[in-house]
Amino acid sequence: MNTRFAVSMILVSAMAVSMTGCKGLFGKKKGANDGVSDVTLTDPSLLDGQNGNRIGSGSGQIIDAQLSAVQFAFDSALVDETERAKAEAAASYLKANAGTFVTLEGNCDEQGSAEYNMSLGERRAQAVRTYLMNLGIDSTRIQTKSFGKEKPKDPGHDEKAWSVNRRVEFVVMK
Amino acid sequence: MKRIIIFSFLSLSLISIAPAQEVRVVKASGSKTSLDVSTFGAAGANGFVFRQTLTSDLERCGWFSLVRSASFTVTGSCHDNAGTLTVDCQVLNVLKSSVVLSKTYTDSSPNARRLAHKVADDIIMSIKGFRGICSGRIVMIGTATGNKELYTCDADGGNLHQLTHDKSISMAPRWSPDGSKIVYTSFLKGFADIYMIDSASGKRSVISRSPGINMAGAISPGGGEMLMVLSKDGNPEVYSKSFGSGQLIRLTRTPRAGEASPTWSPDSSQIAYVSDMAGAGSPQLYVMDRSGTSRRLTSRGKENVDPDWGANNLIAFSSRRSGLYSVYIINPATMEERQVSPSDGNYEDPSWASDGRHLVCAKREGGGTRIYLLDTMGDTPVCLTPYGGSWSAPSWCAK
Repeated sequence: MNTRFAVSMILVSAMAVSMTGCKGLFGKKKGANDGVSDVTLTDPSLLDGQNGNRIGSGSGQIIDAQLSAVQFAFDSALVDETERAKAEAAASYLKANAGTFVTLEGNCDEQGSAEYNMSLGERRAQAVRTYLMNLGIDSTRIQTKSFGKEKPKDPGHDEKAWSVNRRVEFVVMK
Repeated sequence: MKRIIIFSFLSLSLISIAPAQEVRVVKASGSKTSLDVSTFGAAGANGFVFRQTLTSDLERCGWFSLVRSASFTVTGSCHDNAGTLTVDCQVLNVLKSSVVLSKTYTDSSPNARRLAHKVADDIIMSIKGFRGICSGRIVMIGTATGNKELYTCDADGGNLHQLTHDKSISMAPRWSPDGSKIVYTSFLKGFADIYMIDSASGKRSVISRSPGINMAGAISPGGGEMLMVLSKDGNPEVYSKSFGSGQLIRLTRTPRAGEASPTWSPDSSQIAYVSDMAGAGSPQLYVMDRSGTSRRLTSRGKENVDPDWGANNLIAFSSRRSGLYSVYIINPATMEERQVSPSDGNYEDPSWASDGRHLVCAKREGGGTRIYLLDTMGDTPVCLTPYGGSWSAPSWCAK
């Protein structure tokens, strides 16, 4: 191998040293971290207590209205006939208590995609909302929320736990 | 050539090199190039960390069988001295007697692992002519604190770092293709809203916070828009939002179905997503163009969910068949599909690695899930998060 080649290789090495020496290999000098900075809250809307167009954000107080959750079949967003009495009880409560409103919290069992379950939980909550509206409850008193499979009531991993967790809960506020 | 070798030996002798101790020999496979790293030297604590990381990377990347008397030889050393790592690395093509890489690197000692990943990718480039995955990073959800927070780690699971401290539920993180942003969904303010984190500054902004659900989907290959699933106009539908103009475009109209997990084709002309329009209880994959014309992609399997459309034009997803979730890949042009995870457990929510060969996914284990690296060419899955807690929703970053 000739001298010119050897010189060029040494030059390449020298350039590599100088480049890495200047910049650091990843453009940072703060240790063994991976280059992603810690998250800071900078968006003003995150700090002002606002919460989109949600009902009752900041001011609402939760009331224990003694309402039972509506349960659902696997992968279904339909309110079963056997569950309708629970939605009717909720409608009666809302009619009897002016000034209250309800958040319908849709939940799923732990099976399957976390993202798909967010959609499924929302549709369960919307199915109960439609039922309440058909019973005469004004839509402005109802909001939906989905927890997907993120908030199981029963921490188990069997069909018994799963059937408990497929539900829409009534969270009443005033 | 001769001078380089002499120079190398000189530097080796100067730092009293210990020989490599633990070079595991992987099963020789026809597709693997034999590589000898057994003489690569190390000195100092972080020098050994460097060499161990480098060796593991070269083994995990899938392209090599690490043996002695190989087609290619990696020589050189890593020297940890007074807080500075100096790495001298040569790669020799033994048959051609030619040096394909000769490079010196320096960095601060705590960066030993990151530097080893960088050198491993340089070695892969010098031999194979394409980028390896060793310098990649992963963002994921972890429950080690009892809440669901965002974490990042290296491609080998090392350098674990907690990104958020929200004490809330975080979901569905995805890198922008250039690595500059992470979008995700969080219950930070009580409802599922979409946030974006700037990787360099850590600054976070709100992307969507409308009534109902706001679920983050993929950022476009060009970085200018992102997909999301919102329920503000009825049941959950797919939307795209332009970062520049803020314009929101509704892409699906399925009054009887819910959508989820939208992902872009590499040329941004099409979107793959999940919908249960074929029947409640059977979410399937669909592909639509920008006009909203859609076609069903998957036919087998009760559930086909969590698509990730790779730069290789293949869509990875998880499919539930005979009660088991497995990772599959499908070619949307030919509709050919195949299973890429073994049948020893439930593998879900895949994300393509930058080499178009590997995937990261979540495998159910011990009441939770852990992140695994899957190989579409047959190497055994590797657990990347042998840590306490449950780890899920991995998204790969090439940059």
